[in-house]
Amino acid sequence: MLGRAEEGTRPARLDRDRGLVEAARRDPSRFDALYRKYLAQVYSYAFYELRDHHAAEDATERVFMQALAGLPRFEERVDAFIASRVPANPAEAADISTFRVWLFRIARNVVANERRRDRRRPVSPLEAAAELSAPDDVVDTATAREAVSEAWRAVARLPEDRRRAVILRFVDEMSTAEIAAVLDRSEGAVRVLLHRALRSVADDLASGERSGRLGRLS
Amino acid sequence: MLGDGTRDARRTERYLDGLMAADGRSAHEFPVDTDLDPAIQLAARELRSGLTRVYPSFRFEDALATRLAAGAARLRSGQSLEEPGAAVVPGTVAPFRSHSALGVDAATDAADPSGSATLSAAPAVLAARARALSPAAAFRRLPDMAARPSRPLLVGGVGVGVASAAISIGAVYVAWRHSHTPSGRMGRAVRAAHGRATNPNHSRRAGVIDGILGVVS
Repeated sequence: MLGRAEEGTRPARLDRDRGLVEAARRDPSRFDALYRKYLAQVYSYAFYELRDHHAAEDATERVFMQALAGLPRFEERVDAFIASRVPANPAEAADISTFRVWLFRIARNVVANERRRDRRRPVSPLEAAAELSAPDDVVDTATAREAVSEAWRAVARLPEDRRRAVILRFVDEMSTAEIAAVLDRSEGAVRVLLHRALRSVADDLASGERSGRLGRLS
Repeated sequence: MLGDGTRDARRTERYLDGLMAADGRSAHEFPVDTDLDPAIQLAARELRSGLTRVYPSFRFEDALATRLAAGAARLRSGQSLEEPGAAVVPGTVAPFRSHSALGVDAATDAADPSGSATLSAAPAVLAARARALSPAAAFRRLPDMAARPSRPLLVGGVGVGVASAAISIGAVYVAWRHSHTPSGRMGRAVRAAHGRATNPNHSRRAGVIDGILGVVS
């Protein structure tokens, strides 16, 4: 059982970004380290949600600007999140970043606003998938494109909450606990979301395979 | 006691954890769970290989880093993150003035000495300005406006202006070419041939000789 003093210091040990966050809070110019660390993750999340590079860039910029402006208010949220969450095992504890959770909460709101505003300009998943970089080799490129397209198609058909959970899990490699914190859901709810999402994708893949076989036969 | 759905969800989570861990180790073989539906395992592997992380362009990354650095510098100096110029200022109504409108403006300026009425100004002032800016009043002021030093009017934007200038330069060049006979060898040959065609009295032989002499000289 932890004493009061140990309980007080535990959050500082758990959060892997604590050092960077404290440096950035002391000197805002040190925010650059956090920005470089999480740029690709935030951008990927925005890109998979918005399916457009320009919209993803706009959203990414807004997310980091809001994060920089809101950094002084971040401390309370860290403590609140860590206090509400007791990690299941030491490995998971070492991987927790409350800053990342907080950043992705901002990203979730920014992207949701962007999607609401941008419904009039939908981009097809395939069009967006074609923009993804792929290896130089032609066969590899074709295979990679095909895999990306299939995944995009399947994910694009998912309901919003399942799609978000899938992107955070597969693209941003978050744990169930982190996704739960980002989406304001319980961990059990996130587990069920992911399971149902995979079930839908499995059904999609099976029907795609069936229609492909029929196409080859006809 | 866990329900089937919850049990399956937990099993799926464990499988995903294994899949991510295998990727982290760069292991070529993926985990297999005999209790979990193979279709779900396949779907998880498809998503894992298909949903790749996307990177923004270096240009965007550097541009945003610069903007963040500027914002950080403003925060450090105690200012707000936004640039001062980006702040929205209250709108003002500032009508165009003309000589004939000076009388009207003088009356309205007396009511509004600041020279520009804010949107919350007295209705009488706004009504006076509206009268001064009505189409009829503007039409009556046209001679005055024409008496002012004129400014070039570019209709259609910069692209149209550039195209118009290019066409003008082309027309000037064609006119210059017509007024200056070419003095080169090819020009003389063309002149000789042209003269032969237009002047029937000019013999073919003379034309050829002229051409040759022109070319040789």
